Amino acid sequence: MGFFESRVPIDIERYDDIINRLRFLQKLGFNNIILEPVNNIEKFPKNLKKKIRESIELNIYFRINIKPKNIVELKQTIKKYDNFSDILSVESGNKEVQIFCARDTRVDVISFSYPHIAKTLTPGVLSLSKQYNSFIEFSFSPIFNENKYIQSKNIRVIYTSLRMTLAMNAYYFISGNFSNLLDYRSPRVLISICQTLIDMSSSNAKLALRENPSKLIDKLNTKVNPNIIEEGVRIIEPKKR
Amino acid sequence: MKFEKQRYILFYYIIKKDLDINEHSITNLIWKSLFRYFGVKETSKIGLWLVDLDVEQQWGILRFAHTSKEMIITSLGMIRYLGDSQISIYPIKTSGTIKKIKKILSSLQMKKNLIA
Repeated sequence: MGFFESRVPIDIERYDDIINRLRFLQKLGFNNIILEPVNNIEKFPKNLKKKIRESIELNIYFRINIKPKNIVELKQTIKKYDNFSDILSVESGNKEVQIFCARDTRVDVISFSYPHIAKTLTPGVLSLSKQYNSFIEFSFSPIFNENKYIQSKNIRVIYTSLRMTLAMNAYYFISGNFSNLLDYRSPRVLISICQTLIDMSSSNAKLALRENPSKLIDKLNTKVNPNIIEEGVRIIEPKKR
Repeated sequence: MKFEKQRYILFYYIIKKDLDINEHSITNLIWKSLFRYFGVKETSKIGLWLVDLDVEQQWGILRFAHTSKEMIITSLGMIRYLGDSQISIYPIKTSGTIKKIKKILSSLQMKKNLIA
């Protein structure tokens, strides 16, 4: 198990750029990468997944992010993801949507990557997400804003949201979500940023960048394996004599 | 009262445009970042000193007080622009002695393992 870069936006039509990005992240010290398409596609093409996985020695996972405006739109969109084998994340500032997603087992991640969405986070959503084993996502990208005042506000929003998440013992992780290649930082730098700017302990920072994303992948594997009924319950086939 | 121990950090940088980089511009950039994120009070305790800078191979070595390691790593990581050109500084290794850090540097150069 190594460090995760849990949200790398990619354009699926630019294969060379994807590989370039992955090689760079590998050099920075990440072992596990979660790719997210920016092309508004519903599912990742299987051929591309295979091609990417074969071309680089990294653990590559895929996620689809949906951004519903209201509960009606969410219910319509989520029907397409009944037997979905990749990570499904939902990003919305609507509280009704957030509560629905926290309860729905099809949704793996509730994303609070942007400050205007992170502001809407409530203890209710955190409590439900803890109960139904879904994950809360925050991102580093708003912290890297060049405008001092906006940056300060963004740090404050992430700081308060993380405090609340830690207090509620919910599962959380922090992703990069950078569109520019030169904005990516090594895991060591990200841990330092967590410690100094967001006032997290070193162990909590490691939880956000290593242990919790790994739990998310374990959860994903239970979704894919038909023998696993729920967390901790697996059908064992009797040995043939 | 104990003497303050010192640490050395080896860093690598990537810059997009071909700018004329020198020791002064890099030190200035790091000081600015330190002031921006930690203020005058915390920055005064760091004792920052640029020990070495190789403009061709794009690496440098910084010396600082051992208590401010996290602050230095954060400040280097938060640097994004030098003038209008994008720059990224990647801390590679921290050590207590300059001898060790130079040994690490030469082994990385042998492997050609400095990020780019």
